[in-house]
Amino acid sequence: MNRLSSRAWRAYRTVTRWPVRAVRRWRSSLQLRVLTTTMLLGLVAVALIGTVLSQRISADLFERRTTEVLQEAARATVQMRSNFDASATRTGPEITEMFLYSGRQSLLTGSADRSVFLLRSPGPLPPVLVNDFVSNEALRSLITPELRAATADAEGGQRWQSVAIPRDQSDPTAVTPGIIVGSTVQVNIAGQYELYFLFPLAAEQEVLGFVQRTMAIGGVLLVALLVAMTWLVTTQTVRPVRTAARVAERLADGHLTERMHVRGQDEMATLARSFNEMAESLQDQIERMEQLGALQRTFVSDVSHELRTPMTTVRIAAEVLYAAREEFPPALHRSAELLSTQLDRFEELLADLLEISRFDAGAAVLDAERRDVRDVVASAVDTVSALAERRGSWLSVEFPERATYVDLDPRRVERILRNLLVNAIEHADGTDVEVTVGVDERAVAICVRDYGVGLSQEAAEHVFDRFWRADKARARTTGGTGLGLAISREDAHLHGGWLEAWGRSGLGANFRLTLPRRAGIQLTGSPLPLVPDNPMPAAPALPTQTDESAVGRGLDPAAIPDLDRLEAR
Amino acid sequence: MKGRVLVVDDDVALAEMIGIVLRSEGFEPTFCAHGDEALDAFRAASPDLVLLDLMLPGKDGIEVCRLIRAESGVPIVMLTAKSDTVDVVLGLESGADDYISKPFKPKELIARVRARLRRTGDPAPEHLLIGDLEIDVTGHRVLRDGVPISLTPLEFDLLVALARKPTHVFTREVLLEKVWGYRHAADTRLVNVHVQRLRSKIEPDPENPVIVLTVRGVGYKAGPPDG
Repeated sequence: MNRLSSRAWRAYRTVTRWPVRAVRRWRSSLQLRVLTTTMLLGLVAVALIGTVLSQRISADLFERRTTEVLQEAARATVQMRSNFDASATRTGPEITEMFLYSGRQSLLTGSADRSVFLLRSPGPLPPVLVNDFVSNEALRSLITPELRAATADAEGGQRWQSVAIPRDQSDPTAVTPGIIVGSTVQVNIAGQYELYFLFPLAAEQEVLGFVQRTMAIGGVLLVALLVAMTWLVTTQTVRPVRTAARVAERLADGHLTERMHVRGQDEMATLARSFNEMAESLQDQIERMEQLGALQRTFVSDVSHELRTPMTTVRIAAEVLYAAREEFPPALHRSAELLSTQLDRFEELLADLLEISRFDAGAAVLDAERRDVRDVVASAVDTVSALAERRGSWLSVEFPERATYVDLDPRRVERILRNLLVNAIEHADGTDVEVTVGVDERAVAICVRDYGVGLSQEAAEHVFDRFWRADKARARTTGGTGLGLAISREDAHLHGGWLEAWGRSGLGANFRLTLPRRAGIQLTGSPLPLVPDNPMPAAPALPTQTDESAVGRGLDPAAIPDLDRLEAR
Repeated sequence: MKGRVLVVDDDVALAEMIGIVLRSEGFEPTFCAHGDEALDAFRAASPDLVLLDLMLPGKDGIEVCRLIRAESGVPIVMLTAKSDTVDVVLGLESGADDYISKPFKPKELIARVRARLRRTGDPAPEHLLIGDLEIDVTGHRVLRDGVPISLTPLEFDLLVALARKPTHVFTREVLLEKVWGYRHAADTRLVNVHVQRLRSKIEPDPENPVIVLTVRGVGYKAGPPDG
């Protein structure tokens, strides 16, 4: 990955990270969830109540005003009718004059801002034609044909319609609600006219607006109050829970004396008390386990001492008898020999038992130093070369070309290798035993391969079990305690390494030890395969095999770890 | 030469067995089974070597070792059933020259005892100089400005081994073989502990040694003689 793309990647990560963080926060904080829920529910409730209230109020205001307006319009209509009836106009200009007078008069009385329209009803033309009276020409279009038709059909009764009065010509949304009330009047010789009054509801609209604003502010304040109260309550509830969580964490980290502070008698105090009781019993349990562990270690140490002293006496006595065996009759002679050899075996078993109980008690300590793994392997091979010669097995060792330094406890690793080698030679039945050392940047692997009777798959799984024997009937000629491989595996684990076995009946077995090159490296893989790709004894210079081992041994320049270069300086 | 050996062990059977082996090799064993009586037994027997069990009733082996060392440089070989680091080091620091961990074979025991009783040094008079010290090998004395410094035989052997080849660097393994008589690899802590003890007696400032020098990663060497 080049620099640019890595930077882009980082930017992308930063962008994508905050929703992730938000989700994590949401999931992790009960308080946040409760607060958000409360706020949302509060807002919905306030909005619902506000809408209903505001609708009720506006309906009520409108109804009242409508009643008023209808009464006022009726009064004005009666007034105008009486004016028209009383007048004795005969000509068009006289009627126009009367229209003007009546219209102005009705504009002056009653509620302000109302408009008056006196429109001639459609129908056959009367003898005298008089112009309509319109107090506000701009609003004339508000009188819809439907209203006019309804008014004409009402035969003197009132018809009304609510309309939106534009406040500003340029802005069609700026409107004031209004009511138009219509009725008919008869004019001498001029025929039937329709009289319309337009009442704007600006005052009511203002009242409604004020009420709505007040309710909105009240609603917001109410929600804020609700959230604040919820925050207070949840904080009071959540804080002890948080404290409990923190204390539990401290307990989990091994601070066993950590306790919660108990205050009062409420539920939280009960929680704290129960929590403390739990911590108390936990501490008791752990302390008891620790004591048991310490007891176990002391026991092992005591058994070790108590067994070793009589063992020494027996050992010395046996040696004295053994040294004098030539003077004994044959039966005693043989007995002395058996006593001596079996004591050796007994001693080995005792040593192995003590070693494994040291692992069990957690008393085993890694005594690591930086060593060339080739030296350790060579030294282990040296100790078993005599045995290999006796059993007629050839030992071959493949090393990496350069020094490979690994942090290891040489005593333990040599013990593992010695165990694997003795095992392999014992089961090789005179065939070859191959040791391969592979290395990469993080790990070193040592494989011990034999081509003897082999292990069944089931046996390969159990071979590290204590006192497990592949074949219960098989005579153990070179002895062995049955604990060797179990100890070896513990030794490998103590290094943070692996010890694994592969086997097939008749094809031999492969044991692989993988160790991290430095303390603290977590093993993720091994430089050598566990399952060998040459199940039969290797023919010399098999091409695939050399390729494989070349990579495994780090001959490929790309595979040469930096560690080596540092070491070489 | 054959010598007297005091066996301090509370396990009567083992003590008796050790006695049989020692006698068969020509040593004269005496026995003591209690930590509190060990010092009296030591004074009464005035042995050439002490075999000391670490776990004893009454005063434990470490304490007994310290008491004996306070009044004598006689070789002390610990018998220990614990191979755990702490016990061995504690025993060596309290003045023991060597240790054998149980269970051991009689040959091993005899070899350790012989190695400690063996007299080093040639019959010919030999004088060595190391730092500002003068070593009279035949007379088994170390002098600073004519004043003798008291060393145990083992410490003396260690110093002589280093002083015979000044500036030669000895590995711990080589010193184990030369001074303790080990034929094969053994516990190098023996060397470390005894070099510390030796330094505390002969160095003017044990923190900054000038007579027995550490060669990091290798071993020890003797400092050059003064003037």
